Amino acid sequence: MEQFIKPPVEVRYSEELALLAANDKGKKPVSWKLSPAAVRTFIIGGEVATPEGKVKISRKFYGNDALVERAVITLAGSRGLMLVGEPGTAKTMLSELLSAACCGVSTNTVQGTAGTTEDMIKYSWNYAMLLSKGPCREALVPSPLLIGMEKGIFARFEEITRTPAEIQDSLISVMSDQILVIPELGDEGLVLARPGFNIIGTANTRDKGVNEMSGALKRRFNFETVEPVRDVRLEKQIIVREAEELAAAGHIDCPVDPDVAELLAVTYHELREGVTAEGTVVEKPAAVMSTAEAVSVFFQALCHAWYYGSGRIEPAVLTEGLLGAVCKENKDDLGKLRGYFKTAAKEKSKAGELWKAYIDSAKELK
Amino acid sequence: MIPYDLSAPVLFFPVRHHSPVCSWQLLRAAEEYRPEIILIEGPEDASGLIPVLTGEGTELPAAIYYFYKDKKKLISEEEEDYRCYYPFQYSSPEYNAMKAAEKLGIEARFIDLPYCEILINTEGGKGLRREEGQSYSDDGRLTAGDYYKRLCEKTQVRSFDEFWEKYFEIAGLHMEPREFVRVMNTYCSLVRSGTSQRELEADGTLVRENCMAANIKAAMQQYSRVLVVTGGFHTPGLRELIKQDSIPQVKRHKIPEGCTGCFPAAYSYEAADALHGYSSGMKYPYFCDRVIKRLIKEKTPDGIYRDEALTLLIKTARAAAEQDIPVSVADVEAAHSLMTGLASLRGMRECGMAEAVDAVTSAYIKGEKNVSSSVPLDILRKLATGDGVGRIGDKAHTPPLIADFEKQCALFKLKHDTAVPQELECGLFTGTKGLKLSRFLHRMDFLGTGFCICEKGPDLHGSTDRSRVREIWKYKRTPAVDAFLIDRTTDGFTIEEACTNIASKRMQTRDRLADAAHTAVDCFLMGISIDGEREQLLRTAASDGDFFSVGEALEHFRTLYELKKLYEYEDSLMLPLLASCFDKLTLILPLMACVPDDRADRLCSVMKQLFALTDTLLTDRRGMFTQSLLELTEQPQKHPAVYGAAMGLLCAIEPDIQKDAEAVMRGYLNGTLPVRKQGAEYLKGLFSTARDIVFSQNDFLLMTDELLTSMSKDDFMEILPPLRLAFSYFTPQEIAETAENIARLYSTDSDSLLYGEVIDEELFAFGQKLDREIMKELGR
Repeated sequence: MEQFIKPPVEVRYSEELALLAANDKGKKPVSWKLSPAAVRTFIIGGEVATPEGKVKISRKFYGNDALVERAVITLAGSRGLMLVGEPGTAKTMLSELLSAACCGVSTNTVQGTAGTTEDMIKYSWNYAMLLSKGPCREALVPSPLLIGMEKGIFARFEEITRTPAEIQDSLISVMSDQILVIPELGDEGLVLARPGFNIIGTANTRDKGVNEMSGALKRRFNFETVEPVRDVRLEKQIIVREAEELAAAGHIDCPVDPDVAELLAVTYHELREGVTAEGTVVEKPAAVMSTAEAVSVFFQALCHAWYYGSGRIEPAVLTEGLLGAVCKENKDDLGKLRGYFKTAAKEKSKAGELWKAYIDSAKELK
Repeated sequence: MIPYDLSAPVLFFPVRHHSPVCSWQLLRAAEEYRPEIILIEGPEDASGLIPVLTGEGTELPAAIYYFYKDKKKLISEEEEDYRCYYPFQYSSPEYNAMKAAEKLGIEARFIDLPYCEILINTEGGKGLRREEGQSYSDDGRLTAGDYYKRLCEKTQVRSFDEFWEKYFEIAGLHMEPREFVRVMNTYCSLVRSGTSQRELEADGTLVRENCMAANIKAAMQQYSRVLVVTGGFHTPGLRELIKQDSIPQVKRHKIPEGCTGCFPAAYSYEAADALHGYSSGMKYPYFCDRVIKRLIKEKTPDGIYRDEALTLLIKTARAAAEQDIPVSVADVEAAHSLMTGLASLRGMRECGMAEAVDAVTSAYIKGEKNVSSSVPLDILRKLATGDGVGRIGDKAHTPPLIADFEKQCALFKLKHDTAVPQELECGLFTGTKGLKLSRFLHRMDFLGTGFCICEKGPDLHGSTDRSRVREIWKYKRTPAVDAFLIDRTTDGFTIEEACTNIASKRMQTRDRLADAAHTAVDCFLMGISIDGEREQLLRTAASDGDFFSVGEALEHFRTLYELKKLYEYEDSLMLPLLASCFDKLTLILPLMACVPDDRADRLCSVMKQLFALTDTLLTDRRGMFTQSLLELTEQPQKHPAVYGAAMGLLCAIEPDIQKDAEAVMRGYLNGTLPVRKQGAEYLKGLFSTARDIVFSQNDFLLMTDELLTSMSKDDFMEILPPLRLAFSYFTPQEIAETAENIARLYSTDSDSLLYGEVIDEELFAFGQKLDREIMKELGR
């Protein structure tokens, strides 16, 4: 596994998945690898009873547990699952976890972009073979959707709302009738979906104005809104855990300082909510203040400490990283960030040396 | 552990208020145990109301309303009034205990301390003395401490409500009473073990339990099988107390008559909902009632939760469609499948409200969940909460004001059995009931019940919209309406009587005539005669030395006098009052010549009122008024606006005085700059009372023109506000006419005066460019 930058979920957590499958006594929907209860345990953590005793399963998704339950049950039914939310709220991760746990595959994915065409969603052709043999199954290049239908697994459709609406609508017939017709193949061109097939879409709420989904397509999905993590302690935990995993994958043997992680978690939380823990109102930046961004800033500072520094994260480096993450979309965000540090300086400089150094480093914000 | 021993002389049954499962298991336990008496947690002085609550005509939700007036300062020096409700709905175990007693033909009795004694024995800010402690059946104790939080974490549920529904409401239905009581006792004992003795003492729990235990012991002397139904939190305490040989006696206080009492009152589902803020009972009371009614009817719990949750999903879809939110049959099916799937995943026999909420969240909300898209969830919650209002059957115990209120509502066909806000259009002078209905609503408004509010209609207090002939009212019956009516019982036995007495008291305690006149307007709207207050009102008019208070009262009395025929109002007092006010005002008027700036406009308005009266109702007083005005103009110090208004009125009475008015204006014009500025104020006052002076002769226009042209731009800007006000008394047509007259003076036309010349766009751009170039050159 170590030769990949980011191994798929089913590879990364293969041991836990195998353990859950081996000890799963619950009822499974057709073609599923695990029962809904085991899928839930895989995603939100818990214990699994094995003949050797109870084994702990780590929590992978932090947030609304009921949402995970609803998502699992939706996927076991006839409707697709649409995960919507702000960027960086772990929609993609949840979609991967669900696919890996239910079908054992998380890589059957269509990436939605402004340039996504109907071919990419349904099927295309190997033109050399098409010219040589004519329209036949061998010449067909199946899309992830077609693969999902044929194998009875989930197809993931990332960033669906970035795709033009008329292209999105090509999903309607597939989701309604569970059939995909390939007219070029004649009588053999009727693909019926096998049990276990379903679609998980993700949509970014910041993009929704670009290509609003049609009502017809909306009706074929159950929607789940993934909210940002609103608990500072939880956000700190996520930063620490993710940074440790990223550090281990990158062979960075640098200790993760939980106090620095807390510093960053508090900053992100307060800028996102527009109010400090002490109750002072601060201006919210236009940039996305997601936990994923916080992890990225923290890991960047950790890398800097490992390659250029003393092995400990310097507050000034963290502030520089924060500047790069926050001030990229709107020029007013720099002023808002400075304003936050000025406000925080008044309230938090007494909180300890680390906060003091962090606030002092903000003088360099330019 | 507390035993569930069917052969014991006493059986404790712990409950959670309004819980269907507790009611269901209690009914089964009563069948098994066959008690000779049922003792219920509730203030003992309300035992007499039990037959009223269980009576045939009573519809739930209903409540016992308690009040206590601390006249003897037994609670604090503030002599505050206290009130609380003890609500009952069909799912309340206490109600079902009463019904069980009725069915078994045995006595049911409340055993807790009276409300006033609980308050006296509770520390400030605790228990029923908390600000939100308006519900006797507060079970916030079940979620005290960290115990329940750990339980929720451990069982992977989101909240206590979800935990309770899963492990008690749904799982508990399939337990035997013995097992259910064991589970309840375990939970409640663990919660209680985390509460200190100090806390129990502070919120009155210990003293209440002493009283309850003493009552249980007393009943045990008389009966051999006693069923005790109390909140689960009290059960461990009571059990320990009755083991003791002697129970500490609770001191009872002598409360003066009328300072404490209890009445049965209609209650609403909306108020019974735990989300209402009283932290009492359970969420979704209507849903709870549906469940218990079916349990009692079908005698088996199978499928009831599933069916009721599905019914809610269907109703939600229908209601959403009515609000143009498309929810299809396929969505209902998806929601149903999701709901049952979730119940299975969560290890529940059947789905409950938590699953219904989840299903609607997932299947009915299309797109991002936010405030605007969450309407289906709001609908579901509203439907599960219910909007009904109960009814008390036995009117013998109904407080007279509530009985009269219900009678009047029935007479005018007002919906008073729902908590849904209603709107009503009342044509004041159409039909025979219009005025009567308006008067009833005004009476309810006057009593401060919060039952209704007039959205549109004539505003006689503000003397605006007098010509409106319709009123638009919004009304809604809430438990607070009943509470207010009960509180007002001492003022009268009918709503009319209560309003008459309150109005009379107000008039007698008001020193300002304006306030008394305000109450007179209230009486007018309520159709209550003020003739009985003649002496008092005339006395107030004579003693009130505040010119503006009397002026305001004069305006009110004049309005009422003018409208009394239209409103069919019986009165013989308005004219004497008007005369009294008039005499007083004309007497004081000369002394008001030098009022401060902020009061000058009001004074001018009163002067106009007085003048108008001498033209209509009090013609015999014209001479007196003229004399008063002349005295005012002779005062050495005068506010220019008041002076102007007085001169205007004098011109109207005696046209020859116009010359004097002009002379005064000239005086202002010939003065220094500050004096000239006062000329604008003078004009304002003058135009407010005699604007036709401008049109009769050109002299005033010439003088105004002279005033304006003699000023620099800055001085002109300074006097512009009063001048604008002065000309605001003219209609658009009159302004156009004035413009024409002025235009003639300057040999031009009125359009060019009013609108000026249109500057060519290119020329304007050139000018701007020129300006910039010049500025640039200057800046070098």
